[in-house]
Amino acid sequence: MYQVHKRGVVEYEAHCSRVLRMLRYPRYIYTTKALYGDTGELIIEELLLNGKMTMSAVVKKVADRLTETVEDGKTMDYAEVSNTFMQLADTRFVQRCPMVHTPENSDTGPPPPAPNLVINEKDMYLVPKLSLIGKGKRRRSSDEDAAGEPKAKRPKHPTDNKEPIPDDGIYWQANLDRFHQHFRDQAIVSAVANRMDQTSSEIVRAMLRMSEVTTSSDAPFTQPLSSNEIFRSLPVGYNISKQVLDQYLTLLADDPLEFVGKSGDSGGGMYVINFCKALASLATATLESVIQERFGSRCARIFRLVLQKKHLEQKQVEDFAMIPAKEAKDMLYKMLSENFISLQEIPKTPDHAPSRTFYLYTVNILSAARMLLHRCYKSVTNLIERRQFETKENKRLLEKSQRVEAIIASVQATGAEEAQLQEIEEMITAPERQQLETLKRNVNKLDASEIQVDETIFLLESYIESTMKRQ
Amino acid sequence: MAGNKGRGRASYTFNIEAVGFGRGEKLPDVVVKPPPLFPDTDYKPVPLKTGESEDYMLALKQELRGTMKRKPYFIEKPEEKPDIERYSKKYMQTYKEEWIPADLKSKNAQGTDKVSSLINAADVLKKIEELEKKGDGEKSDEENEEKEGSKEKSKDGEDEDNEDAEQEDDDEEELEEENDYVNSYFEDGDDFGVDSDDNMDEATY
Repeated sequence: MYQVHKRGVVEYEAHCSRVLRMLRYPRYIYTTKALYGDTGELIIEELLLNGKMTMSAVVKKVADRLTETVEDGKTMDYAEVSNTFMQLADTRFVQRCPMVHTPENSDTGPPPPAPNLVINEKDMYLVPKLSLIGKGKRRRSSDEDAAGEPKAKRPKHPTDNKEPIPDDGIYWQANLDRFHQHFRDQAIVSAVANRMDQTSSEIVRAMLRMSEVTTSSDAPFTQPLSSNEIFRSLPVGYNISKQVLDQYLTLLADDPLEFVGKSGDSGGGMYVINFCKALASLATATLESVIQERFGSRCARIFRLVLQKKHLEQKQVEDFAMIPAKEAKDMLYKMLSENFISLQEIPKTPDHAPSRTFYLYTVNILSAARMLLHRCYKSVTNLIERRQFETKENKRLLEKSQRVEAIIASVQATGAEEAQLQEIEEMITAPERQQLETLKRNVNKLDASEIQVDETIFLLESYIESTMKRQ
Repeated sequence: MAGNKGRGRASYTFNIEAVGFGRGEKLPDVVVKPPPLFPDTDYKPVPLKTGESEDYMLALKQELRGTMKRKPYFIEKPEEKPDIERYSKKYMQTYKEEWIPADLKSKNAQGTDKVSSLINAADVLKKIEELEKKGDGEKSDEENEEKEGSKEKSKDGEDEDNEDAEQEDDDEEELEEENDYVNSYFEDGDDFGVDSDDNMDEATY
């Protein structure tokens, strides 16, 4: 986010890709909820909203929040929150932020204009030894929630914390790459489940779980796993014999999609999961599905045909797809105009004369994926724009309804009768209520669409990233 | 050879059969206007996914939006008011500004710098006025008037970025360019009659 320019002036730049990740925050938080419960969910939420925090600050805030939702009389213990935090660090969902590097001879000249942040690989997941004893506090109206106070003002913290924070300077952040790894694994497992059956997907899931911490997130494939190891780490209760497992593994390895590959025969057969190929298949499936929904299934058939045969002439397309010439031509041109398909020129003569050149249709997955990704970004922009427009149009109505709600709440708190509440409710007329309903429905639809488009964005981005790395 | 054959008849440089159009077949209409903004789609889009997880994520998203707006990191763009700079603005500093690194901080505190730079400009203007009385004054007069105009403008604007300094630079550059053309065209009332003989651009009736 910043770097020191040669001339000693500090340059700041915005990381656009990081900004786009904000679309994915709900998915990160929901995933943590599924894996580590409400405690984990709140920890990740606080970290995402505040960028980086010290562990003690996170624990305290999460405990406070959890205490509020629990019934009166009970409070949330810090220890439980700390435990969840440590679990998250062990599985690498949270990591330490790079710290200021203090050189040995710290008195040579003035300090640099921007601190040089470094972090040691080994320290990234080291949890400091803290003895956080305490319980969550229920927030009262007198205690102002002093969230996000700058460090300089910390000693003046209004509540009990008078000692300096023990882990000052050690900040934690959410490890987005780890989440992405998790999403990718999820996508692969569900793809296998759709294509084959539940058992094979469980086998793949077991393989992925075993390689979680041994393989780095951008490796092209996992470490080879022997069939014996896989057998041992299958979930308890999955009663399949060794032979059946071997059969499944062979089946997976022979599948044309090549998610799983066989890399050797020791230990009963060594198998790897091929991430590059898996992501490529997922991206291709996305492209096919888009074409099918946009242009029809015949077009999709042509697309799959060209994909399979790599290069085809106009005539061959008609023959292989068994679609009349006129329709085939029409569809090919529609796809060509949207850049899903491209033309490859193969000249017969060195002067590239058009009358003596072959023009073949071909599909370049990488460029088509990039084009589709670009379209996704545009869709998200349109969705956000429309949502803001709708909200702005009805601003007056929204404010009015908020005021009415506030009035109702305050009147209820001081004890009110049914008739009074009725009267207040009628301040909003029926057509206005209708309008509000429509607005809410539309905004929800637009929001949900944003979240779903982001799923496609994730797939395409992962595919493009893995292909670029391989090159 | 190919050129002669095509005279008076529509022909193409490549084998039209290869791309799929038979001879003499009607080609699609030429496009004369940009495609419609919302073209009709042949197929309706697939409905959105619904389910417990989607509902939860939706609620989360809207909640996050509200929470983020209330965070101190959410710095709103300062509105630019066209009227004069308020005295109280110097003293009403919100503590949100502490989150901005020192370099990018708004230039409220640097208002004094602007004033001093303007004072320098005023000194320069005075010098120019003295010079003008000695030598040919049209050029500096122009600069004088324009500079006063831009000075007032920059005092009024509440722009807290560097743009003002750049704007002044731009103004000066523009001024010098303008002087090339405007110089002999339009001056004070005093010198008007004197120079009009030299200037043949104006129409004489």
